[in-house]
Amino acid sequence: MNGANEQADKDLDPVIEAYKKDVDVTLIRENLHLTIDQRFQRLMELQQFAEDLRRAGRKAHEK
Amino acid sequence: MTDFHALLRILIENDVEFIIVGGAAATAHGSARLTFDLDIVYRRSSENIERIVKALQPINPYLRGAPPGLPFSWSAETVKRGLNFTLTTTLGSLDLLGEVVGGGGYDQLVSETIKVGIAGIECLCLNLESLIKVKRAAGRPKDLEVIAELESIRDETVNN
Repeated sequence: MNGANEQADKDLDPVIEAYKKDVDVTLIRENLHLTIDQRFQRLMELQQFAEDLRRAGRKAHEK
Repeated sequence: MTDFHALLRILIENDVEFIIVGGAAATAHGSARLTFDLDIVYRRSSENIERIVKALQPINPYLRGAPPGLPFSWSAETVKRGLNFTLTTTLGSLDLLGEVVGGGGYDQLVSETIKVGIAGIECLCLNLESLIKVKRAAGRPKDLEVIAELESIRDETVNN
């Protein structure tokens, strides 16, 4: 990493620290108890749920 | 919906050399964020490009967001002429990356990976530290929350 990039990276730190306050650590802890396989399974279930919600939203707007 | 298991399976079954990066790598490390695509860095050797083309042919890769009917032929020539491809397939969205900002290509990243088992398939996944590094290097506003979460995962892992 060159000097300019290092500086840019350091400049991000306070912003990232500010975002960290809003990270839901309980969700992370829950995920860390799962196997990697289970994490992907959950991700796909969540995708399906998001898709179902979108479809329902579109239908509601059509009415 | 992207069928991560099926996409990974066809890549592995065709001996494609690749590394999982991006949101899917974050999921592997414990991220709770929702991602809709599979991002992989692929090795830019002629043999590997041939393997990718053969692997993806049956799932009809097409440029994501491109208007239908755009002349796009999925071939080794096409992959060699380009570098990064955002594709839609019958199994979902797949981003093929020849390089990532701050990390380089497959050969530079392969030593910064861990082996992960997903649905009985063993693949290479960018390690947490390098994932944070490339996200920081990308410096996109949308990545700031992601970096904050990844660093929180690192803190949790170190503290437990």
